[in-house]
Amino acid sequence: MTDAKKRQWDELLSHGATASKQHLAELFAADPDRFSKMHRQFGPLLFDFSKQRVTEETLAQLFELARTHELSDWIARLFAGEKVNDTEDRAAMHWALRLPAEARCEVDGQNITAEVHKQLARMERIVAKIQAGQWRGATGEVITDVINIGVGGSDLGPLMVTEALADFTTRTRQRLNIHFASTIDGSQLSQLLRDKKPQTTLFIVSSKSFTTIDTLTNAATALQWLQRSFGRRANASVLHCHFIGVSASPEKMTEWGIAEENQIGFWGWVGGRYSMWSAIGLPIALKIGMQGFRDFLAGAYDMDEHFKNAAWEDNLPVLMAMIGVWNTNVLDINGLAILPYDGRLKQLPLYLEQLEMESNGKSVTREGQPVERATCPIIWGDVGPNAQHAFYQLLHQGTEAVTCDFIVPARRYHESVHHDAADELIAQHQLALANCLAQSRLLALGDAALKDPESQPLYMRYRGNQPSSTLLLDELNPYSLGALIALYEHKVFVQSVIWGINPFDQWGVEMGKRIAMSTLGKIRGEDNELDDTDVSTAGLLRRIRAEWK
Amino acid sequence: MFIDVYGDTLCALVSAAALASTGHNVTMRVPKGPAATTLARGGCPFREPGLAEMIAEQTTAGRFKLARVDEPVHDKTTVIWLGLSPNDTHIAYDAIAALPSGPERSWLLVNQSTFQVGTTEALQKALRDLPGGETAQRAAVAVPDLLNEGTALQSFLQASQWLVGCDSPWAQRMTSEILRPFNRRIDRMMFMLPREAEFTKLAITGMLATRLSFMNDMANLADMLDVDIERVRRGMGADKRIGDGYLYPGCGFGGLAFSRDVMSLASTLQLSGIQAQLLDQVLRINERQKESLFRKLWRYYATDLQDRKVAIWGVAFKPESARIDNAPALRLIEALWAQGVQVHVHDPRAMPALAEWAGGPRDDLILHQDPYAALVDADALMLVTEWKAYWSPDFAHMRASMKHPLLLDGRNVWDPEYMKEIGFEYYGIGRR
Repeated sequence: MTDAKKRQWDELLSHGATASKQHLAELFAADPDRFSKMHRQFGPLLFDFSKQRVTEETLAQLFELARTHELSDWIARLFAGEKVNDTEDRAAMHWALRLPAEARCEVDGQNITAEVHKQLARMERIVAKIQAGQWRGATGEVITDVINIGVGGSDLGPLMVTEALADFTTRTRQRLNIHFASTIDGSQLSQLLRDKKPQTTLFIVSSKSFTTIDTLTNAATALQWLQRSFGRRANASVLHCHFIGVSASPEKMTEWGIAEENQIGFWGWVGGRYSMWSAIGLPIALKIGMQGFRDFLAGAYDMDEHFKNAAWEDNLPVLMAMIGVWNTNVLDINGLAILPYDGRLKQLPLYLEQLEMESNGKSVTREGQPVERATCPIIWGDVGPNAQHAFYQLLHQGTEAVTCDFIVPARRYHESVHHDAADELIAQHQLALANCLAQSRLLALGDAALKDPESQPLYMRYRGNQPSSTLLLDELNPYSLGALIALYEHKVFVQSVIWGINPFDQWGVEMGKRIAMSTLGKIRGEDNELDDTDVSTAGLLRRIRAEWK
Repeated sequence: MFIDVYGDTLCALVSAAALASTGHNVTMRVPKGPAATTLARGGCPFREPGLAEMIAEQTTAGRFKLARVDEPVHDKTTVIWLGLSPNDTHIAYDAIAALPSGPERSWLLVNQSTFQVGTTEALQKALRDLPGGETAQRAAVAVPDLLNEGTALQSFLQASQWLVGCDSPWAQRMTSEILRPFNRRIDRMMFMLPREAEFTKLAITGMLATRLSFMNDMANLADMLDVDIERVRRGMGADKRIGDGYLYPGCGFGGLAFSRDVMSLASTLQLSGIQAQLLDQVLRINERQKESLFRKLWRYYATDLQDRKVAIWGVAFKPESARIDNAPALRLIEALWAQGVQVHVHDPRAMPALAEWAGGPRDDLILHQDPYAALVDADALMLVTEWKAYWSPDFAHMRASMKHPLLLDGRNVWDPEYMKEIGFEYYGIGRR
């Protein structure tokens, strides 16, 4: 670490030593303008960080830290298509997936925009055919059920977005249902296959490498299910009519049997957890239509431009990231709760868990040295109003300091689908909004939010001072959701720069997969040597094998 | 009598012409639209055997006149006759509101439109709410439209039954008097309450549709079991409890009135909270059936139809009609287009309607004046509407013109054995 960086860390920490003594209630009491100073609006997103334990002095210090860590250079390198994913020797250009057709983007002589839009056009053709009720199964029946087989980035993103944007479902002549199957044990797939008809079911097999074992086993089960119904002789028709492949490896797709015209490609420079902007997002486009998908991309693109161009003081991803660094490294807060106050965002916490923890859950710097400071906190969450009945107790009165992101749309239920019951539902949303504001207020202020707290026994009192941010969306729609997700992506990148780590690899998840393959032989009895593991594993293996005799 | 007939439906025109032909003075009031334009130019908007001639005849005789919907009615008019489209209830209420009224002014309203069940009673109330309703005779009767499209005029002039829904002796007498010339040999009038008549009409249509969908279901099973549905149909029809009408399997029924009535019944029940489960299935089976020929083609060519040529004979929703409303051919053409097939079409009358539906020329739709021209280099022929001219065509010519002699007979008009003998590959609905 350079001297300049060390000096700036020291300054930040010494500022923190005094700043951290101030309770949030005092900060609010001291400055009636705190909200107007400490919120920013970009497009449909209002980012309120006035309930974070920061002052203007803190922000200045944090920006200085970002400067000493050459954040501007790193942002430029990211958007120049440099190989910022050094351990895998490739670029991270998920932002290029959102470029409008007229944008120019050339990397190493490749016209990236043209390639991206070529695949979008393929996607559009497939979406149009399926939504028109003209994608046919092997017997000529109309496809009414689409099952996405994928895991990790090929599952979480499309699942989260299709649920979040269900209000924007395209109306089709025949109802089109989208399902997801991910787990290696076939849990979801077995449920789905029980009540779907082979004649009307289409599978999307999504895998960047097209070698992911979880996905390929599920796909093989699906193929056999179809073959049982149509007979093996119909194999070519089955593959031609019932499988679409999405992958960065066309050879592997062809090898598996995906028909050439049913393949949609993407590229090595798209990380799995950043891939729903590519054809991995096919289930999203099937749900909300290609125009909806393009709006979703447009929201993210506008956030990309904001991130590239806005001054840090007004830059949502930079602000969010640096406040996170402050919480993690200065205030020693190791937990971040994601709390959407909108049931449609139920999958968002899971999605962000992967985005943040798989990206920044690292402890080796780009220079190959162990990191000196904490990196990504533990992230979890749930739909806020439900979580209030679960883990909020710990937030209010536990011993752990936790920071929270409250996410809520201001307007809801004005879409035409809700026409009949709009009044009742709007009243329900108002209740959710009220709860959202009440919880962040109580977490921040503690007893100061109450009247006459001293009269209460200790177990009924609130420590407060739990910092939080609130992201208020005008409404939840394809555009605003696109912007929201891109905001978190860039936040993660900024933090990785400060922590000096590569956010685009995931070596930690590789070895487990390999050990699993050797363990499989021991379970299946192909390998009877158990004692080369460890006593715990060997003991469990013996018990399992006894059960299978 | 002086009768004002409102509506742009086939039913309105047939009723108006038939009533005029027995001496009534009929004023025909057609809402603005293509039908009104055609009539004003002296044409007939529906190609029904005998209809155009009868309208011309009655016009010359001075008993069939045209008027705008909003013009005041004649002083001598006593009967309002409605043959409106299902969505045009407002025209009915506007017409009632504009009627001359007063204590001396009696009115009979005959409703033949397929509105929601209960509408005739509501119309009667509107009539009685006009000034003078306490003293003058005012009644609305439901006389559901039971016309057979294709033989519409005949089915009015020699109706096999008249359903009359009314709830007063005066209305019953008046209606009997108007329909007297069409009810001569045997009394075919059945009296019931207005809503009962309305519901009977829907139930009849629903039952017919159910029989068709049932037979199509049977035909699909027959396909799998290698059974000839034609023999099954004859066997069933010979059973008196069943009878032989509406048992022909085929590639789906279309038609504006038929589909609309069945749907209206389904929605009538749905609104009341009752699930019309059977009718719902009937409609679904029919929609699926419309694509049955496509599915046969799809499988025959192993799911790849790109760049093939397919000929379609008959796009009208039934023979003798120029209309294509909800016709199975439309669904087939859409399905074929989506797979990159070039479609060649022949139909004796419905080509203008098809061209309009297609919305301008396109490379994958070619309309032919000559049925054999449509077959040149075709990979298959689909027979969709059983026009009489298609029953015994020049098979040798067909065989020589087609690239691949594949016949998909959506109406089971050809004989499978004979077709195979003369070199065709033949697939019907439930037989091959």
